[in-house]
Amino acid sequence: MKIISGNEAVALAVKLARVGVVGIYPITPQTSIIEKLAEMKANGELDADIVRVESEHAAMASTFGAAIAGVRAFTATASQGLLYMHEMTWWVAGSRVPVVMVVATRAVGAPWNIWDENTDFMSERDSGWLMAFASNPQEALDLTLQAFRISEDERVYLPMMVGMDGFILSHMKTNVIIPSQDEVDLFLPPRKQPFVLDSESPVGMGNIFPPIEYMKLRHSIHEAILHSEEVIREVGMEYQKITGINNYSTLNVKYKLDDADYAVVLMGAWAGDAMEAIDELRKQGLSVGLYRIRYIRPWSEEEITSALKDKKAILVIDRATSMGRGGPLYLELKSTLHHEQMCGVVSGLGGVLLNKGDFKEIISRFVERAKKGNAKGVTWYYPKGGEKVELKSPRYVEE
Amino acid sequence: MSLSLRDMLKSNSLLSGTSACPGCPENMAMRMVGMALGNDVALIVIAGCSSVIQGLAPKNSYNFPVLNIAFAAGPPAASGMWRAYRQRNKNTTVVVWAGDGGTADIGFASLSGAAERNENFIYICVDNEAYMNSGGQRSGSTPFGAYTSTTPEGKKENKKEIMFIMMDHNIPYLATASVGYPHDFVNKLRKAKQIFGFKYVQVLTPDPYGWMFDPSKTVEVGKLAVQTCYWPLIEYENGKLTVSPESLHCLEKSTRRPLKDFLQIQGRFKRITEKEYKALENYVDSMWDKIKKLIE
Repeated sequence: MKIISGNEAVALAVKLARVGVVGIYPITPQTSIIEKLAEMKANGELDADIVRVESEHAAMASTFGAAIAGVRAFTATASQGLLYMHEMTWWVAGSRVPVVMVVATRAVGAPWNIWDENTDFMSERDSGWLMAFASNPQEALDLTLQAFRISEDERVYLPMMVGMDGFILSHMKTNVIIPSQDEVDLFLPPRKQPFVLDSESPVGMGNIFPPIEYMKLRHSIHEAILHSEEVIREVGMEYQKITGINNYSTLNVKYKLDDADYAVVLMGAWAGDAMEAIDELRKQGLSVGLYRIRYIRPWSEEEITSALKDKKAILVIDRATSMGRGGPLYLELKSTLHHEQMCGVVSGLGGVLLNKGDFKEIISRFVERAKKGNAKGVTWYYPKGGEKVELKSPRYVEE
Repeated sequence: MSLSLRDMLKSNSLLSGTSACPGCPENMAMRMVGMALGNDVALIVIAGCSSVIQGLAPKNSYNFPVLNIAFAAGPPAASGMWRAYRQRNKNTTVVVWAGDGGTADIGFASLSGAAERNENFIYICVDNEAYMNSGGQRSGSTPFGAYTSTTPEGKKENKKEIMFIMMDHNIPYLATASVGYPHDFVNKLRKAKQIFGFKYVQVLTPDPYGWMFDPSKTVEVGKLAVQTCYWPLIEYENGKLTVSPESLHCLEKSTRRPLKDFLQIQGRFKRITEKEYKALENYVDSMWDKIKKLIE
């Protein structure tokens, strides 16, 4: 066990996974992952070849080129960087090639803002990647290691990204259990992938697909995402068996949920604050529990439905937006469950910090409304009040 | 070096059934790539005519392992690829095949980045001087005065001289070529293959449709471009620039074939005025002045 940050935990996972090539480009708050990798390389602790590229578009392209040529490949990014490589994330998924990326989430400009928000990560939902989201540095390490095995499973053969809240996880140091190299070698077999671009077996990849073939390929990605659910559970249990770390037998995580009347749904680091709030609210007699989404893709309809179907009302808290529609998690839940009472809260954007007290306020307000049969729609929550937003030009700054 | 019809026939880099237009210079160039580099090659094709020419999946008329990829992604993908081959103890020659739009415009930052890092692959810019795959729109590599579908009045700016910009990256090897001179092109590619690091080869590929000449005249136009000194054949190695034999006559203005001979055979310069013609001549003169200064 070591006291390390989320970014250090990810860098260690990359080393333990015996990655062949890493494409790197700096962006806050992900940068210390690639700095750590470069440092390990300089000290001779890392075998991976590092390509220090000139943009995130190139970071994803170089990672892709290495993966296609048959080695395990990794990159990391955030915010503007993820948006800049968006074209390539789609290209990688369409190629059905296993690649792993970590995203230390951050708000997207304009205006400039370097702090945490999950909208960058959530905007990749349709790209064809598997997407897991950590809630502490330990999970960031575990999920990164598992991502290699999941993406290289022949039932999946898709790239996978692991998200974590920028700064809050990327830079915060906590106790992290680090599996040994022997354990990881046992857990992670040599790389498998559907095609290797090799002069010994010339294949053409990515040239024009006729309409039906193209549609079938897209369909196969959809099916692979659906099938990845059982792979994720298998891999999670295998990981647990070998390393003895954490509980990965399910995609998503329940906290005091089964006996609760009301459910709160969210993802990421602030699950910690929410759990503390729930502990105190329960003492005050509120029957609430937490459901933490760990996998955005695959979206486990089965797990989510069985966990939440009997709840009287559901509150979904998003640290991301789908402008004009609320938050992406809220929309996903809406399409899965058909509760009369489901409401969304958007908060925490651009680094707005919520503490236990804020969660207590949000949750108790929700329960009050639910008791009146009125827990519907989306609201934006600001700590310490100040909800009134005036529609002025982007130059407007509140005095 | 021997290069005969027999070599041409032996090269199996280009299989039958391509969807190239008649008189396509890119197919000629691709065949020459096969002659020069052999079979242990991995080819990355960025968006362009060649994305279409190779045909519909699952078939492919390029007899190499081919990775198709989006515009700006060729050089970084090649960077990852050759490193992966090195990790696997393989000596495969990695080649990026890109058009002039993908090189001079949208892909320029990634080209420059890979060159600066001295990544070990050959970058071939197939220069047909416009976005021919989307129907012939101007690119940074389109010459002054040329008609394209987005410069119906003729382009007002000079061709971007990527070869000089790439020389300033101090790469180990750079060459220009023309499909009108296959020996020269093949020789240069063979040399590039032997050198470790970043190799930039720009081959002029006159396009009968975009340049508006008879498809039977591709080679002739490729030769005229060199003979009139519009397109210089040069080599840059270890910091030293040399002019290839086919272009040596260009060093003296008096021995250059009139530029008119190159322009008149094409429809895209049909409407240029006398003044514009002079401007193009001046451009060619200044380019050769630059080359002369560099070889001194």
